Amino acid sequence: MTASKKGFMPGCSLPSYTPEGVQKTMEYLKEIYPDLGGVQKCCGKGTKALGQEEKFKERFDGLQQDMDDIGIDTMIVACQNCYKTINETSETTKAESLWTLLPKIGLPEEVRGKAKDSDVIFAVHDSCSTRYEREMQDGIRWILRELGYRVEESENSFENARCCGFGGMIVPANPDLANRVMQRRADDFESDYVVVYCAACRASLSKVGKKAFHILDLLWGPVVHRDDDAPEDVLSKPAQAWINRYKSKRVVKKVVKA
Amino acid sequence: MEFRQSVYDNAKQITDGCMGYEEAFCTAACPMHTDVKKYIRQIGEGNVEGAMETIREKLFLPNTLGRICAHPCEAACRRESEFGQPLSVAALKRYAAEKADEKTSWDTTTGEDTGKSVAVIGAGPAGAQAAIDLRKAGHRAVIYDKLNVVGGMMRVGIPEYRLPREVIDFEYSYLEDLGVEFKMGVEIGKDITFTDLRAQHDAVIVANGAHKGGVPPVKGKEAQGVTNACDFLKEVSLTRQSETAGKRIAVVGGGDVAMDCARSAWRIGAEEVSLLTLESFDELPASKEEIHESMEEDVRFLNSWGTDEIIADETGRVQTIRLKKVLSVFDENGKFAPQFGEETMEIEADTVIFATGQQVEDVTGGLIEQKGGGRYVTNPETLATSEDDVFVAGDASGGYIVVEAMALGKKAAKSADRFLNQQELEEGRNFKYEYSFVTNLDVPLPKGTENLPRQSGNHRAAEERKHDFRPYDLGYTDEQAKQEASRCLQCECKLCMEECLMMNDYGECPQDIFGQFLQDGEIEPIVPYSCNVCGGCTHVCPNDYPIGETFMAMRKDFILHNDGKSPMEGHKAIEMHQKLGFSKVFTTKVKGGK
Repeated sequence: MTASKKGFMPGCSLPSYTPEGVQKTMEYLKEIYPDLGGVQKCCGKGTKALGQEEKFKERFDGLQQDMDDIGIDTMIVACQNCYKTINETSETTKAESLWTLLPKIGLPEEVRGKAKDSDVIFAVHDSCSTRYEREMQDGIRWILRELGYRVEESENSFENARCCGFGGMIVPANPDLANRVMQRRADDFESDYVVVYCAACRASLSKVGKKAFHILDLLWGPVVHRDDDAPEDVLSKPAQAWINRYKSKRVVKKVVKA
Repeated sequence: MEFRQSVYDNAKQITDGCMGYEEAFCTAACPMHTDVKKYIRQIGEGNVEGAMETIREKLFLPNTLGRICAHPCEAACRRESEFGQPLSVAALKRYAAEKADEKTSWDTTTGEDTGKSVAVIGAGPAGAQAAIDLRKAGHRAVIYDKLNVVGGMMRVGIPEYRLPREVIDFEYSYLEDLGVEFKMGVEIGKDITFTDLRAQHDAVIVANGAHKGGVPPVKGKEAQGVTNACDFLKEVSLTRQSETAGKRIAVVGGGDVAMDCARSAWRIGAEEVSLLTLESFDELPASKEEIHESMEEDVRFLNSWGTDEIIADETGRVQTIRLKKVLSVFDENGKFAPQFGEETMEIEADTVIFATGQQVEDVTGGLIEQKGGGRYVTNPETLATSEDDVFVAGDASGGYIVVEAMALGKKAAKSADRFLNQQELEEGRNFKYEYSFVTNLDVPLPKGTENLPRQSGNHRAAEERKHDFRPYDLGYTDEQAKQEASRCLQCECKLCMEECLMMNDYGECPQDIFGQFLQDGEIEPIVPYSCNVCGGCTHVCPNDYPIGETFMAMRKDFILHNDGKSPMEGHKAIEMHQKLGFSKVFTTKVKGGK
């Protein structure tokens, strides 16, 4: 039996948000899996969500081809939609969530306990698309604990997660409703500081005034203290977001080839 | 536009099974379907006037029912099934009525005069409700009663310490306001024949009640001092005394009527009151409250004893009752078939009151066939009889409690109205809603539900109250009423509607949205395209209905019918994003390793 051949796929919203986060994550994965491959592409979830079955099939086939071309059988993903889409669609490639993988491989020594003096208590926004993936949700808490952050749970944690407002492509279809959904989700949390593990969710919660951090911001970025601001909402600026996506693509190439 | 079959199938499943509009346990159990949940909420909010308005939408006897309703709603209450502590629904209704029932706010509008006239035999709750509904439909309604007082069994069966007579008179004044005519002290079959009555009216509703008490074939039953509950309670009700009764009174029976007899016995000056029941204490059919209150008043319960013989003294008066031990009351099929053992005992008494059932006396001169208990043979759905113009309601048709009698009165009036308008009696009627039913509501208890005890009422001390006919229960204070109302769980299934903001924009529950879709065969694209597909609805749905999945499937069909494009204007940007997300500029694949 041959060892699984792993690759990393940052997805869409994450590379548009943080090329640095993508780079550091990949560099760390590459330390563990020196043969790590990489794909930068959309999983097609957006196409699927609009209801474009044919186009989705065509686009996913393209992604499958890419994964097959570089001999990947396990794709590490940091986006819950990629996780679901690949696992529901691909017959040959398995998606593995970064959030369940990290507890298995551990965090780099230099980040462990780095935030033990932080005075911030983070609420956790779980992704609704993976409401029943308890191992993934526990993985996020594990990472936060390893870093040294304190966490507050809400009634709408874990399987009771609520949509951030971004889901189902409703923002462009019904923006007023999307705003209300975002606000309602924000109101679920007592703490102003919320940690998310989906870059689109981060954008939603930022829009309604929460100090929303992606878990990778906490993993690789500076320790967050009370009164610190969250990173800006890059995804609301299309030009910036596409530049980031382009940078991330180069990161994928660079790290794999390094 | 045509959708895929799964969309229709799912929409049908959701529409048929969604519990969003299922009645709460209390409202379904109430034969009149009073909106219990709503008025209790209003009381809790301090809006007693609003509560009163809600109650009066269905009930013309709020204060009466608040005191004496056998409250099937409480038996069905979720707090009863979960904790054995049902909401005190009846007492809250009485509270609202005492606090806020103003004659000036009664709806006294009646229908446009039809020129038709209906005779209603009996001024009890069934006849009164029928008369109200007939007036509302524009018919003339004339109530005949052989008594000189209104209320029927409420007046001459239920003791006045439970139901003050001025409450009945006040609430019945509504009928006068509506123009119902009363012919009191008129006995059908004696003062006027049934045939003549029919000739004078276009239809007749027979609601004469079950006023004929009986004494079972017990040896010695001819002794002086032996009577039945109907005669005893009627005499006590009208005169506050009893010619028959002595000082040592034994009541035979285990139901509410027996309790009423026993408690009335104290009030006419008895020195000793015993209750003899075939049933064991735990099997007693009487309500828990009545049993408890009777015990407080020192009624001696002799359970699991049958009356073997009544032994008279030399003057012919009851002296001793010989009892035999009951081994079982019901057979293995649950049928009444008492079995007795050898053991006997004797008790001293000078009066025996049999509260062992009552019968309906015929007023139709044999025209309408009667069955067990004298109940008339009717179509149970319409209460129509073998004669087109004759309908039956209340005890005479088989109801047992006041609120059932009212529902049967309503039903008979509806049928009579249809008959008078030459309409089909059954067509388009939802018979389920014309009586008690069991709701299909099946929801988890609301989060954080605690077992909070039921507020007891303010009962006068037993030693004091048992010697007079004044009300024994003083009713709730404002604070008690609020406290009690706050226990209501407001049972409903709108669980998905609490989760989903979007569906609230398009209906009150999924049944609205998908039912409308099935009815129209189409749906505005904005509806399915407003679903986040977050799964929150299905997650909380007790039936796991695939709501988001169905919206998603609808989207696929919109795409198919729109040249592969989303019908939503805003989605043009998404399509561009997706295109770029797959374009060479922004994608790459890199093989790892050597």
